Amino acid sequence: MSNESVIINPEIIEKKISSLNSFQKGLTDFFEEVSALTHFTIHFFKEVFLPPYEWKEFLKQSFLIGYKSMPLVGITGFIMGLVLTIQARPTMSTFGAESWIPAMVAVSIVREIGPVITALIFAGKVGSGIGAELASMKVTEQIDAMEVSGTNPFNYIVVTRIAAATIMLPLLVIIGDAIGLCGSYLGVNIQGDVSFHLFFLQVFGKLDFSDVMPAVIKTFFFGFAVGLIGCYKGYNANKGTEGVGKAANAAVVFASLLVFIIDMIAVQLTSLFN
Amino acid sequence: MQKENQNKIRLGIFVSIGLTLFIVAIYFIGQRQQMFSRTFHISGIFKDISGLQVGNNVRFSGINVGIIDGIQQITDSTVRVDMTIVERTRKFIKKNAKAIIGSDGLMGNKIVVITPGTSNKRALEDNDTIATTQPISMDDIMLNLKTTTDNTADITSDFAVITRNIRKGKGTIGKLFSDSVMANNVGEAMVNIKQGAGGFKQNMDAASHSFLLKGLFGKKKKKEESKMN
Repeated sequence: MSNESVIINPEIIEKKISSLNSFQKGLTDFFEEVSALTHFTIHFFKEVFLPPYEWKEFLKQSFLIGYKSMPLVGITGFIMGLVLTIQARPTMSTFGAESWIPAMVAVSIVREIGPVITALIFAGKVGSGIGAELASMKVTEQIDAMEVSGTNPFNYIVVTRIAAATIMLPLLVIIGDAIGLCGSYLGVNIQGDVSFHLFFLQVFGKLDFSDVMPAVIKTFFFGFAVGLIGCYKGYNANKGTEGVGKAANAAVVFASLLVFIIDMIAVQLTSLFN
Repeated sequence: MQKENQNKIRLGIFVSIGLTLFIVAIYFIGQRQQMFSRTFHISGIFKDISGLQVGNNVRFSGINVGIIDGIQQITDSTVRVDMTIVERTRKFIKKNAKAIIGSDGLMGNKIVVITPGTSNKRALEDNDTIATTQPISMDDIMLNLKTTTDNTADITSDFAVITRNIRKGKGTIGKLFSDSVMANNVGEAMVNIKQGAGGFKQNMDAASHSFLLKGLFGKKKKKEESKMN
């Protein structure tokens, strides 16, 4: 038996315990957040099918979320189609495959770029808007006032916004895709001469149901995710003006991340069924 | 109130545009896949489908007339390819028409190309089996290329042996190149042949003018002239 004693530095132990505690706290916070979000989602599904249905508010939100986002989505889509076409030309012309540009751009826009870019813009505009609006309502105690006056604030504020976001985003994506293809038509004709009829035939010559349907279906999930996260972050904002900014910021970041996660799952599922 | 109504109308227009675009896209994609036109089904048995997939086009006289709607392995060496073809082209696809797997350009998708049969045959019926031709695969081309290359290698090695022998003066041609006496003899022989041929021509000219053979040569001349005309 040796009589050697191990010298333990108490500072190191304290640091290790502190980092372990912060990790534990982070993990606990994460799971608490997931749990709260799950409860929030379940609450939404419970409320969405129960009357009273706030049709008027739903239409108002659809107008604000969908119609008002159209110019931004349209401009982005147009530039996206134009730039993609111009960028694709040098590579395609190396193979002598310029005639494939419309089909390639159409498949890219319809399958992936259109839905994802539109959803990200939607998350930036609508997600942050909902988050900030609901957070300021919470801060100024308007939500509490609604409860006192006998109105179901969750049904009136949250359900209408999430439903509007879920339904409006697919429409925005479809319109954005169409405008993107118009941009592509312009891009093709900057350095070439393709009639609209030929361009149209080349676009639809390569598009398939397996390109369009999964892309449209996943946009419903994107819209739902953006609406849900925006409402969740706003509805659960901390009191104070600082909470409004934090809620808006968190809504954009989290919704954008969720869009990519949903997209990854959607791609895997689509390739599984194909 | 008026503004609210205006907003509702705007929303209605927005939703209508979105839905119309979606329906138009679905219609055109469906039309391309012959979903809205009358079709008939045929199938072909292939040994190798070279990567053909469900949804690829079927082409007849350079026009897309249908799509592949099913691929099924029947035995270890045969694959059945089911095709949906538009009804309006049925009358042109005869019983002895043949299907071959081709490619849409150098880098394009695989397609089935139907070559028309003879017009005296009847048109294909619904659910008929079309005759097929096996496509030339890249492997076949490479195999043929290898055989050609091997043959070329044999020929060049033989040719090398021959030229080596000629250079060493072996064989008749080799001697001709290296032996000056033999070369002179060959030269003299050529002169003799030339002189002999000249003498033979003179004799034949004399014979053609003699009264005994004049008739024979005259007939021959007339025959040649009539042939020329």
